[in-house]
Amino acid sequence: MKSEQSTSGQPPGYLTNFIKMLVKPHLREEILGDLHERYMRRVKTQGVARARRRYWLESLAYMRPAFIKRQKSEYRSTFLLNPAMIKNYVKITYRTFVHNKLYSVINVGGLSIGLAAAMLIMLYTKDEISYDHFHEGAGQIYRVDRKMIKSEGNIANSGYTGYFQGSRFSAGVPEILAFVRLQQAQMEMKTGNDIHTQSVSLVDSNFLSVFSFPMISGNAKTALLDPASVVITEEMAQKQFGTTDVLGETMFLKNGAGFNPVTVTGIAKNCPQNSSIKFQMLRPLNVSASEEGLNENWFRFFLNTFVVLAPSANLQTVEAKMQKVFEADAAESIKMIREKYGIANVGMSFFLQPLTDIHLSKNVSASEGLSDAGNPAYSYILSGIALFILIIACINFVNLMVARSIKRAKEIGIRKSIGGNRNQLIIQFLGESFLLCLAAFVLAILMVQVVLPVFNQLSGKALALSYLVDFKLIAGYSILFISTVLLAGFYPALIISDYNPVSALNARFTLTGKNYLQKSLVVLQFGLASFLIISTLVIFSQFDFLTNEKLGYEDTNLITVQKWGLKHHDATLFKDELIKNPNIVDVAFKNNGYSGNTVKVNGEHRVNVTYETIDASFIPLLKIPVIKGRNFSPIYPSDSVHSILVNETFVKQAGWKEPVGQEVAFFDINEKYTVVGVVKDYHFKPLTEKIEPQLFTMNPGSDYGMLYIKIKPGSETNSLKYIGETFKNMFPLDSYSYGFKDQENLKSYEAEARWKQILLFGAILTIFISCIGLLGLSVLSAETRTKEIGIRKVLGASVAAIVASLSKDFLKLVLIALLLAVPLAWLAANKWLENYPYRIALNGWLFASAAMIVIMISLITISFQSVKAALANPVKSLCSE
Amino acid sequence: MRRSDLGEFEEVVLLAVAALSPNAYTVAIAEEIERETGNVVTSGAVHAAMQRLEQKGYLRSVWGEATAERGGRRKRLYTVTALGGRILEESRAVRNRFWDRIMPAIRLEWS
Repeated sequence: MKSEQSTSGQPPGYLTNFIKMLVKPHLREEILGDLHERYMRRVKTQGVARARRRYWLESLAYMRPAFIKRQKSEYRSTFLLNPAMIKNYVKITYRTFVHNKLYSVINVGGLSIGLAAAMLIMLYTKDEISYDHFHEGAGQIYRVDRKMIKSEGNIANSGYTGYFQGSRFSAGVPEILAFVRLQQAQMEMKTGNDIHTQSVSLVDSNFLSVFSFPMISGNAKTALLDPASVVITEEMAQKQFGTTDVLGETMFLKNGAGFNPVTVTGIAKNCPQNSSIKFQMLRPLNVSASEEGLNENWFRFFLNTFVVLAPSANLQTVEAKMQKVFEADAAESIKMIREKYGIANVGMSFFLQPLTDIHLSKNVSASEGLSDAGNPAYSYILSGIALFILIIACINFVNLMVARSIKRAKEIGIRKSIGGNRNQLIIQFLGESFLLCLAAFVLAILMVQVVLPVFNQLSGKALALSYLVDFKLIAGYSILFISTVLLAGFYPALIISDYNPVSALNARFTLTGKNYLQKSLVVLQFGLASFLIISTLVIFSQFDFLTNEKLGYEDTNLITVQKWGLKHHDATLFKDELIKNPNIVDVAFKNNGYSGNTVKVNGEHRVNVTYETIDASFIPLLKIPVIKGRNFSPIYPSDSVHSILVNETFVKQAGWKEPVGQEVAFFDINEKYTVVGVVKDYHFKPLTEKIEPQLFTMNPGSDYGMLYIKIKPGSETNSLKYIGETFKNMFPLDSYSYGFKDQENLKSYEAEARWKQILLFGAILTIFISCIGLLGLSVLSAETRTKEIGIRKVLGASVAAIVASLSKDFLKLVLIALLLAVPLAWLAANKWLENYPYRIALNGWLFASAAMIVIMISLITISFQSVKAALANPVKSLCSE
Repeated sequence: MRRSDLGEFEEVVLLAVAALSPNAYTVAIAEEIERETGNVVTSGAVHAAMQRLEQKGYLRSVWGEATAERGGRRKRLYTVTALGGRILEESRAVRNRFWDRIMPAIRLEWS
């Protein structure tokens, strides 16, 4: 009974508090006293349970206007926004700011970095989602995509279609109002005596009326009607003619054997940054009558087809109708394909993809015939990083504000003593954080302006600050600003205004409590920073691996020169000419790019191969080892028609024990080839792709497209000059372009390079901002422990011991953060590395070095304050009481 | 003085204050009325009535001492003013006059 009384000695606290809040202030003491007394008496006479029940009823009796309604005060309450006071607030803000320059700069700087990151990423995401929305009626425009169900059951989608999909669907489906085809082509263009390759977009004549690309001059409706017309962009006009007033000028483009004149009939503004369709020159697409009659064109895919649907059209209905048109119209070709390849079902269908979805689509990407394929993952990761940076920056701002306010306890005490009320103090400190936020905001805008060029390079965009002038974005930034002010201002304002003036003036003031919130924030910040550091290290090592791993062939001192449709006979002549120069070691030929093919081995077993046309010197020139059999050789004249080489993977897939002498059959030609040698697997494609079966022939029927020229080290300038001259002499009508194989190989990893930069950027920012937070906390801790440090020093503690005792707590938090971050980072890194067939193994050193980096950085940060505190003269801290 | 100035409950409270004086405060009065009438009376109801009486000028109050039972809060002690006393007397006189006029035979019927 006794223990029960002691636990329930008090009536329910929440109810008491509620009543306290509810009733008039001058009645509080009496009412609460009455309630308490009745409760205590009832506990004695009727027991706790009943007393508590009665307490409820008693309390209820006080909920009536007679007790609640406040009386009007006799004195007017202070006007909160008195101009004199506001002037005083601004002055005090300025003085505190100047008085603690370092902290103020760190505080405002940290916040503005967070804001700048958020702004940049808002800019980026806005741009990403605004792609292609600028076209009038963009919602009505769709791209025709196709879906292939392969024999193995997997589905492949593609954005490429052919001549017929546009015209035939448009004729057969009434809902399709118009169609535009867009084919990207490379054409040789002559300016004066200079010939170079120019990308040209071949389009239907209604291209400029379906899409809204603004024109500077020329008529959008008629500009592309004439087959000999060309529409160029502003930039192109400047480059070619030095002016944009070029309507009616003539340009020369290669067509078949010679250069034909075309007339400029329109000048368009440069394509907007957020357009998936980017062109420099537009030429009318010409479909000859013979092509028009060729039913196989249903199955030749090399261009993009766009259709405009009627506003009322239903997508499913239109797609179903399209499929009917396809099956009826292409019946002839479908039958032919079935017979030729022995496939029961062609498994092809067409579907529509909204124009505005193309940019961020993973299903059918913009890279299929259009530009700027976006990756939504970039947007998500960047937004995530930005959000975290901003939140952390806000939290730091709060922590630092509260930490600094301890020094201002006296000011608050005095304000309160001479009659400042709590609301005034809240207004003062909210106003102060408003001013600081405003400064941070202005600074952030300046920062964005400065960083934008670098950011553009990182993100591969052409964003400008003028992009900010957009209603939605301005609204977004305003919300960002207001929420930052409230987020960063309210908490300190509430805490600070709650100080008790007596203890504040008494100089024995400390912030009490365990500060779990602040501690977990430090853990969160450093966990995130560690995660990003580990990720960055993983990406760096994987990138290093990709670029330094042995490819299985030598790519040094190797020049590649493109030459389309090089006949084998011309090749020999060209090689003889080149080899005359002593700097040139050897020359080999290969087809351009990679062509896929399917071959039959062991009767009916199919193998998908990369079909390479090479000459006899290709394998030795690249130093690819032949592990079985022999290389092609001029000694065996039949090599060019009967022999092939294969790689190890091919042998493995074919399941051969003894590959040399085996036969390989093709589908389209009724010839059989014999394997004469096996080459060791080499990475003919980037390391991001698995080595696939490869098949080499010297078939004279397929032309070469690429020269591999091995030169002596250090002879680049001379060799290039000689190669260029020889090329011009032999092929005066072709454009000449060359590359270094090792540099081209590096270019394959641009996506990885970009991730590397983004993460590095994120990691540095996060670490920096986390350090600001840590600094704030160490200031707080050192300041509240001044006396303790003084006493320790007096009693003989060394500086090192004091620094250690001050750092210990924070180091603990950083270690917890690391413990949390390492497993998560390990999982994420593994997941990411799974994308790569050839990858690094994650080892402990990587994590250990990341941990070392984090610990070092945090120790340095803490030491800023802890060393200062440890060196301070104890007399100073102890004498003032 | 209009009769309606004093409600029935108010009259009881006023009487209780007079009876308990000088130790009349809300809780004591509430308990006293509970004991006399047998009904449950909340201190809130008593307090509200006393506020009204004080406004009318029938009661006046001063702070009393604090007790542990009240959680260290002071009690407010109420006393009846001269005006309050006169009102009580008046209402009693009215009642007495009526009582006196009830015939003994009828009172016999009730009991």
